[in-house]
Amino acid sequence: MTAISDREKLSYIAAQAADARLNLELETEGMTLNLGPQHPATHGTLRIIAKLDGEQVISAEPVMGYMHRGYEKLAEVRTYPQVTALVNRIDWVGSFANEVPFILAAEKLMEVEAPPRAQWIRTALFEMSRVANISLFLGDMALQLGATTPAFFAFRDREHVLNQIEAVTGGRFHPNFDRIGGLKDDLPAGWITETKRAMRKMRQFCDEMEQLVLGNEIFAARSRGIGVIPADIGLSYGLSGANIRSSGVDWDTRRDNPCGLVHSELDWKVWTHPDGDSFARFWVRLQEVRESTKMIDQLLDGLPSGPIMAKVPRIIKVPAGEAYVETENPLGVMGYYVISKGDLVPYRVKIRSASFSNISIAPWLLKGVYVPDIITILASLYFILGDIDR
Amino acid sequence: MALVPGLIKGLGVTGGTLLRTVFPDGWKKPIPNPVKGAETVQYPHEKEAPPPRARGVIALHEENCTACMLCARECPDWCIYIEGHKEKAPPRRAGGKPRQVNALDRFDIDYALCMYCGICVEVCPFEALFWSPEYEFSEPRIADLLHDKSRLAEWMETVPDFEAYEAGAETKVKKVPPT
Repeated sequence: MTAISDREKLSYIAAQAADARLNLELETEGMTLNLGPQHPATHGTLRIIAKLDGEQVISAEPVMGYMHRGYEKLAEVRTYPQVTALVNRIDWVGSFANEVPFILAAEKLMEVEAPPRAQWIRTALFEMSRVANISLFLGDMALQLGATTPAFFAFRDREHVLNQIEAVTGGRFHPNFDRIGGLKDDLPAGWITETKRAMRKMRQFCDEMEQLVLGNEIFAARSRGIGVIPADIGLSYGLSGANIRSSGVDWDTRRDNPCGLVHSELDWKVWTHPDGDSFARFWVRLQEVRESTKMIDQLLDGLPSGPIMAKVPRIIKVPAGEAYVETENPLGVMGYYVISKGDLVPYRVKIRSASFSNISIAPWLLKGVYVPDIITILASLYFILGDIDR
Repeated sequence: MALVPGLIKGLGVTGGTLLRTVFPDGWKKPIPNPVKGAETVQYPHEKEAPPPRARGVIALHEENCTACMLCARECPDWCIYIEGHKEKAPPRRAGGKPRQVNALDRFDIDYALCMYCGICVEVCPFEALFWSPEYEFSEPRIADLLHDKSRLAEWMETVPDFEAYEAGAETKVKKVPPT
């Protein structure tokens, strides 16, 4: 890990200034470039209106909402178990993590606590969804910068994790496994050894990625010093997760504000990077995947025995009240604000999803960059369109 | 900027993967066998077995169903259609009163709408619904995705037994009724 030198930073800024001067002298006409909404490489639809001057972006504006599905309204007419099935679909790449904050908020209102075994399995699956999610990013960002091989490697090794999630929950993408007061079912026999093997494979994948992508000079040249987010600007835009940790802010909800998950009983480390550029975001996420696989190993080793379901009534009525729970999801901090009026259905659910805040820095970040760097910056911010639009 | 070491290392990684795929048996038996070494399978000829818990298709054990409508009510997108009527059945013991049983007329699941959440299987109090990991039931016409009760009963044969649990579990293993 080497921080970029001031000289490199200054040379990039000088090149930008020189180009801007040239554009002024030549009196070039501006041009509007539409990126999206439909593009074969995106799963989802995001449109970016970029006003260009020559090769430089003057202003960029993300247009979102093409995939708005109205989850907050839908949740008002669905019972609590049905909402769990629904919120799987918000961030579909790491879907188990979406259920957890909602269930924790409902548990907080009902004043029930899941038994220890359920909490440990819940945390393990939570971290597995992080591995499945971020390993896709590792392949995807390299793909967007023109390297095809890492994407295939990512899909190949991610399958091992998804198979393990399917073996325990029944669904590869939409587990719907979390219940108020515990989990739906216990682990099948032989699952722990298989999962440990999958985690070993993921650590190998991380090593491969380190050699294949991080060590690659072309990747470094295209991502170092591109899209630098200073810590204070990032915080003021509400960035969270790996995006803010790569700007040197040592903030992780799993460690600083634990609620209902057992991260505090594990031995792990929050990775930060001082640079705040696209390379740092890739680097931090790569370390996070490796850290998560170690956490899953610890969780499976120390799994307590016991029941997996607390005593909850068969028909769930949540007492009146309000609760807000946020957890550190793969994409960043995700929170649910649940208001209940003592009914079968929640009165109001506000969803704070990480990608929405993460993409909001794009207009600031894309100002003045060159056109090919738009792709680098958007890829490194890592958003899931379903998480933006909800 | 030196362009050599990182690129060559990366080429080594891809090259190693290529060799492992083409020669899966290692250097002791250097016979190229990429079909075995590949991570993918040739789908229609070769099939991957989904885990027993996989949510593929819902099977109905008709004898257990009492047409109580719990599954139809709890379904998030209301894709289960049930109709039933009450019937008199002969008494269990001689000389007793005739019993009243609920007979099932119609039990349809529209797989074009189903989102495979498994809530119906979970809420069923009489163990009439089961998950089967079978997944090959796509149809050229969308209307054919509506499975009626005879089609749903056929899936019962593909329902695997419930697996044993990992050590430390206190949950009881459920049983699948024989068809």
